Amino acid sequence: MAALRQAGHLTVAGAAKRFGAATVLDDLSIAVAKGEFVSLLGPSGCGKTTLLRCIAGLLRPDSGRITVAGRDITTLPAHKRNVGVVFQNYALFPHLTVAENIGFGLRAQGIRPAEAAPRIAEALALVRMSEHAGKPVTALSGGQQQRVAVARALVVRPSLLLLDEPFSALDRKLRETMQVELKHLLREVGITAIFVTHDQEEALVVSDRIAVMNAGRIEQLADPATLYGRPASLYVLDFVGQSTRLAGRVSAGGGGLVSVETALGPVRAPGAFAPGSRVVVAVRPEAVTPGAASPAEGLNRIEARVREVSFLGSRTQLHLDLPEEGEDRGVVELARLPEGIGPGSPVTLSFREEDTMLFPAA
Amino acid sequence: MSATAIEAPALPAPRRRMDPLGLLALPGIAFLFVVFLLPLALLLWSSIRGGEGFTLAGYWRVLGDEYYRGVILASLQLGLVTTSGALLLGYPAAFALARARGGWQVLLFALVFLPLTVSIIVKSFGWGIVLRRDGILNWLMLNLGLIERPVRMIFTEGALYAGMINVFLPFMVLPIYSVVRMMDPRLPDAAATLGASPWFRFTRVTLPLSLPGVVAGVSLVFSLAVAAYVTPSLLMGDRYMTMSMVMAKAFLNLRDWQLGAAMAAVLLAVAAFVVVGASLLQRRLGGGR
Repeated sequence: MAALRQAGHLTVAGAAKRFGAATVLDDLSIAVAKGEFVSLLGPSGCGKTTLLRCIAGLLRPDSGRITVAGRDITTLPAHKRNVGVVFQNYALFPHLTVAENIGFGLRAQGIRPAEAAPRIAEALALVRMSEHAGKPVTALSGGQQQRVAVARALVVRPSLLLLDEPFSALDRKLRETMQVELKHLLREVGITAIFVTHDQEEALVVSDRIAVMNAGRIEQLADPATLYGRPASLYVLDFVGQSTRLAGRVSAGGGGLVSVETALGPVRAPGAFAPGSRVVVAVRPEAVTPGAASPAEGLNRIEARVREVSFLGSRTQLHLDLPEEGEDRGVVELARLPEGIGPGSPVTLSFREEDTMLFPAA
Repeated sequence: MSATAIEAPALPAPRRRMDPLGLLALPGIAFLFVVFLLPLALLLWSSIRGGEGFTLAGYWRVLGDEYYRGVILASLQLGLVTTSGALLLGYPAAFALARARGGWQVLLFALVFLPLTVSIIVKSFGWGIVLRRDGILNWLMLNLGLIERPVRMIFTEGALYAGMINVFLPFMVLPIYSVVRMMDPRLPDAAATLGASPWFRFTRVTLPLSLPGVVAGVSLVFSLAVAAYVTPSLLMGDRYMTMSMVMAKAFLNLRDWQLGAAMAAVLLAVAAFVVVGASLLQRRLGGGR
């Protein structure tokens, strides 16, 4: 395993890429530390796969600079970059066996068979595929194919590993297992890894930091807890996790707390907005407690009506009827459903002022 | 008895191996039997029938005579050159066709397949017009000052090869295209990220994966070209005799059925060798999957 250990350090500075009239990467910059796992998270078309292909050398950005471990690789062709890629659906060579797939890169780099064999064996063992070495890759299950793809990329000791939607071909249950397994494996190898995904849960599980992408730019780059707890924009708030959102107008500011008038009553939250500003008040589902808690300092309280109840096993979701349509929505998660609450019943909801987020209205 | 054993009704053991859907092939088989297998048997029969019963004299004449041996070799050479030329031009064309998008693909498709809709006779005459002593190509080269006097092109082997490749190119492009279209275009990308140079990518990924299409195209074009009749007749006349031309002459002019049938049998053997060999090769290439 130590033999596979080699780390890099990636920077992308001012990368831009246009396809015809469409700007896919818009002056994008990011720096990834050695050994770090970073996810590029965003909807399809946000430029995350384009950024990945630029880093891999399969696309050349129109402008900008890409360096790995201090070396400028912007104009290097893919085969001279030493950047490993695990492709979506894996792109294994269908005419080769498992061991031949894993050994492909070693052969391509002119490494003698005598030297390559132990490295192939080591990589096979690393992904627990040793007993399948002679099988054609077309005979493998999805999870096994993923392991072969990872071993094939790691065996050439890349300075950086890129993974393009590596779990999208797996069914839900297997996906959850493989996410933890792969994260553990890559941590053990000690490689720097970039995941591309559109699945926020996956990003939260596998990453040290997440870059939320929007229209060719990075909207926010932060660790999962910060991203979830302190989203930088409404876009990030929406893309990562769920929330209750209410439109409102700032009535008074000062002291680091502003008061906001909403359709469900006044709310106070930390922030700096001038009185009269139109804002969106948001709170995460699990920050809300039901029932008329005794009035206390630092608590917001709103009255609402339950529209629907969804039982999710470990928790229960309440969907609230909100007076306004459009941007407003209400989703609250409770560990336990209180007695007598069901569709149509009125609820009082409390949440701490410090858990309340404010965003400028779009 | 309070409990009764429930006995499963005995199912008849499955005897028939053949899917009844296989019967759908019967009309086709019957048709081929009447219009192809039967005449073929008669033909082969006439190749070994002499004045006093069974004889191999026809084969002795075809394989022993220097002239006819030359004809066979010339046909094989024509097949080989045509196949190589069509492969060299058709292989990249098939990739372009498979990777092109939208309007470009329509255009490329038209360029490759429209010639198929033109009769081979029209096409061969067209080549004649282009290549004649007072033809378009000579006129063009004269006016451009590339040559001082008309060059003889028609009735040369070069013209024959050009015409043959033109006629048979679509039969090379189509099978390769259909294989390449199914190939994951990210495989060469994956090879590149593993450090494979463009040449290594081509020889170890792209070429092996496209080989089934190449084998199909080569066997198709070769067996068609080796049996060519119209194009060599129109572009070369008697100067380049192919097996098919000898057969036509034997049956129509010489009324020598034994000679024609023996030549036909040799041609059949060549084609069968190529087709069977190709399908064996293809099975081996496909078996690794």
